[in-house]
Amino acid sequence: MNVSSAAIRACGLVKTHGQGQSRVRAVDEVDLEVPQGQMLAVMGPSGCGKSTLLHLLGGLERPTDGEVWVAGRRIDTMSERALARMRRRSVGFVFQAFHLVEELSATENVELPALLAGRSRRQAGRSRRQARRRAGLLLERVGLAARARHLPSQLSGGQRQRVAVARALVNDPLVVLADEPTGNLDTAATLDVLRIFQELRAAGQTFVIVTHDERVAATADRLVSMRDGMFVDDTRLDGSHTGGLGGLIGLGG
Amino acid sequence: MGSIVLVVRLVLADVRRHKVQAVMLLLAVTVATATLALGLSLRGVSDALYEQTRAATAGPDVVALSGDTGPAVTSALTSLANEPEVIAHHGPYRIVYADLTTRDSTASPVVVHGFAERPGTVNRPLVTSGQWVRSGGTVLERGFATALGVGVGDRVTIAGRSYPVVGIAVTAATSIYPWAAQIGPGGGPSDYSGLAWMTRSDARTLASSHDLPVTSAMDLRLRDPEATQAFLDAHHDSAMTFHSWQFNANQDLVILRDSQPILVVGSWLLSFLAITGVAALAAGRAVEQTRRAGLLKAVGAAPGLIAAVLLTEYLALALVADALGLVIARLTVPAIASPTASRIGDAVGLGGAIVAAATVLAVAVAMLSTLRPTLWSMRTATVTALSATAHQPRHRPWLTALSALLPTPLLLGLRLTARRPGRAVLQACSTATTVIAIVALLTLYAQPERGYGLDGSSALPNLRGEHDRRLMLAVTILLITLAVVNTITFTWTTAMEARANMAVARTLGATPGQVSAGLSTAQLLPSLPGAIIGVPLGIGLLSLFAARNAVEPPAFWLLGAALATVLATAALTALPARLAARRPVAQALSAETA
Amino acid sequence: MQDAVLAMLAKEPSHGYHLHDRLRRSLGPLGEAMNRGQIYVTLARLERAGLVVCERADGLPERPERKVYALTPAGQQRVAAWLAEVGWPKPDLAEFHLKLAAAAAARLADPVELVAAQRRELLRRLREVQQAVLAEPAGQPAGLLLEGVVLRLQADLRWLDACERAWSEVDDDVEGG
Repeated sequence: MNVSSAAIRACGLVKTHGQGQSRVRAVDEVDLEVPQGQMLAVMGPSGCGKSTLLHLLGGLERPTDGEVWVAGRRIDTMSERALARMRRRSVGFVFQAFHLVEELSATENVELPALLAGRSRRQAGRSRRQARRRAGLLLERVGLAARARHLPSQLSGGQRQRVAVARALVNDPLVVLADEPTGNLDTAATLDVLRIFQELRAAGQTFVIVTHDERVAATADRLVSMRDGMFVDDTRLDGSHTGGLGGLIGLGG
Repeated sequence: MGSIVLVVRLVLADVRRHKVQAVMLLLAVTVATATLALGLSLRGVSDALYEQTRAATAGPDVVALSGDTGPAVTSALTSLANEPEVIAHHGPYRIVYADLTTRDSTASPVVVHGFAERPGTVNRPLVTSGQWVRSGGTVLERGFATALGVGVGDRVTIAGRSYPVVGIAVTAATSIYPWAAQIGPGGGPSDYSGLAWMTRSDARTLASSHDLPVTSAMDLRLRDPEATQAFLDAHHDSAMTFHSWQFNANQDLVILRDSQPILVVGSWLLSFLAITGVAALAAGRAVEQTRRAGLLKAVGAAPGLIAAVLLTEYLALALVADALGLVIARLTVPAIASPTASRIGDAVGLGGAIVAAATVLAVAVAMLSTLRPTLWSMRTATVTALSATAHQPRHRPWLTALSALLPTPLLLGLRLTARRPGRAVLQACSTATTVIAIVALLTLYAQPERGYGLDGSSALPNLRGEHDRRLMLAVTILLITLAVVNTITFTWTTAMEARANMAVARTLGATPGQVSAGLSTAQLLPSLPGAIIGVPLGIGLLSLFAARNAVEPPAFWLLGAALATVLATAALTALPARLAARRPVAQALSAETA
Repeated sequence: MQDAVLAMLAKEPSHGYHLHDRLRRSLGPLGEAMNRGQIYVTLARLERAGLVVCERADGLPERPERKVYALTPAGQQRVAAWLAEVGWPKPDLAEFHLKLAAAAAARLADPVELVAAQRRELLRRLREVQQAVLAEPAGQPAGLLLEGVVLRLQADLRWLDACERAWSEVDDDVEGG
């Protein structure tokens, strides 16, 4: 696999927190390559460094050592401004706590990144209309067209997370980085979000999902397990297991 | 009883945790109370200084002044000594109108009093350095000598003849420098003049050798010093002018005419700024303490306790600041109440009324600052629902839509401003107050004034104008300092409250520059109308106090001041906004989740 | 399997292919692996045991799919007994547990590696079921069965996590000691 086909690539990635005795290696010599169109899940117990890894990949934190490449460009040496521009174009974030802006309606939340990105292209009027239209389309896609004018406080957790997913997608990012996207959701809402993820994956969207929920991890093409900042296992899940689906309930053969 | 212990304990813990806020409240209230106490005590202190000078110099109860001289005048004056109410007198003595020039050619009008070499029982000028008049030597009044920069041993030229200065003295028989003349030649108006004493024969020689204008005066002591008005009424139709000691004491206040409004109005403005700044902090604290509220409720405390803690803390700090402010006022008042050196004595203690007024001000600042959180906690106490949604920013669709059309920093700024409209109003008020003070200062500097030198020369500066400008400058500097602290506080509080949203904006691709520009804009948006409103408000406020012939400063000065204030606000918000925008995004996000 | 087929006949006599359809519908995606032959084999066994009778449709050539099956009284009793039964499949964890113990004792293989391999296998299964869950419209009864399978697999995966932790510590102790 050559470099350019990888949506995200990291090599020798190290991130330490704290100083002296309390110095912790949150991410310890991690190498990673996520090809375009792949859905990668990162699993591990809390504190294993998986969220830090996600922040490093999205340029929210800078590595102590190592390199991060997004869309074929090295980002760990970029200026904050260039990082911000990179995030606008290439990265969509989904968080456990949704992080919607409370005083903005669903549509306004979704169009926010489009407004931020539109500005740099100096087409204020047109990009605003486009942003509004795209926000409407995305909300429809996540099944919330009827709730476009609701404030986050008027939405259920699952609905809020779907708004957040729509927001992450509004700039057509190269990769969606999701940090425990279903951590605050019940089973039904989790399935709603995972269904949307599956549809997007089928359409070729690249994902990196950090989770401690096996169910979420199992929807990925590939699963990386982390312990103490290191990868301990890297499994492709899209290969077939022994026996068919029916075998799982003792009906096979 | 237990709850009092708890409140005290929580207050102490709170002060320890919020040292900067405590210091800010302390300083703001100290400055405000000190200024108010100063402004209110000027009159009393000026009176006290006159009283002490009068006692030390055997000041006359009434001075009789005649616009003319000659045997007829002398006999008329002398006959006053025989009046039944008069128990002692001094004079009649000559008042010679001349010019005085110092070695460095500073020239001033001067009145020369011809006195005996051995002073009598009434009007015995107190020699503060050197000695009393002797033949060929002159004694200068202390306020005059200080303005001239002349001391004992220097030589001065009076009406072309050089005299050594043998002493410096003060008297309660005339007004303070530069109103020593009291009456002009022929009973007409007088110029700003200093006062000098010579022996009687020297004064006579001076007058006759140059044919200078001369008037006569006599100092009288009455049986009842308080009955000066009756004495004056009895001589109502006389050709002479009478100055009672009460009149002279009042004359001393002329130099302070504008000082009092500067200080009192200044103290109001200072208090207002203190309230805006501290109220913003208090509101921030109340929100933060919502989390503690649940905990306290669990151990049986009512939500009112939080307001009680906040109120107790602010009241205690305000009272300490009040005491500090009063001490500062007490220590600085002699210098401010007596801008000339014409009076001696110490300031007396501040009156009960002044202490009360300053304390009321301090308590008012504390109460008004904590008003909102107190009301809020009382409401929640009755409604019982202790939900944080009371502080949830409102959805403003039209504003959001409007801001969507703007460049990113303005978009972020407008939305930040809209989050906390109350704080935006406070910021606008804070800016308006600053501009009011600057307008007042500029207006004072724009006033034309006559110097105290010869023919209005400013070689001897107009002490009153200088005094006013210096006070106004001090008040303005204090106001600007508070406004600066306010602006920084507002920006930082806004940044901290919007921390999560700003972090989200960063993850969505806003640059740190856009975020910090947005935070600055959030302060600038309300500052702009504040600065614009401040100019007419300042002019209006001044028109209440200014003399009828007051001159308005040029319009471009005022516009420049408003513009400079806005620019300074922009510069001031830049640093905290930048610091806040530089904080790592990941931290802000995870702090929000925790 | 036999009990389920019997219970399905309790409602009304039915053709074999009809039974097959009903079973598949109830099982949802998991029933896709079941072929019609299995049903006929089961029905033939039940018939031999005297639990069902086969009524041939008149006037048609004798073909298996034309037969209609019905419960006998013995079959009805068996269904009633089955419904009252509270037996539950036992999770067979002992075997894997012993596998790990034996491998460790004889130094045949690294137990941690065995756990990891097992985990990968279960994750693949979970993925397959999970995808079936996501493909299933919400609210279908078959979804419940899938949910049960998912929860089982999750429980097994968590147990494997516990195994991994425990055997890693044993390893550490050996290395440390």
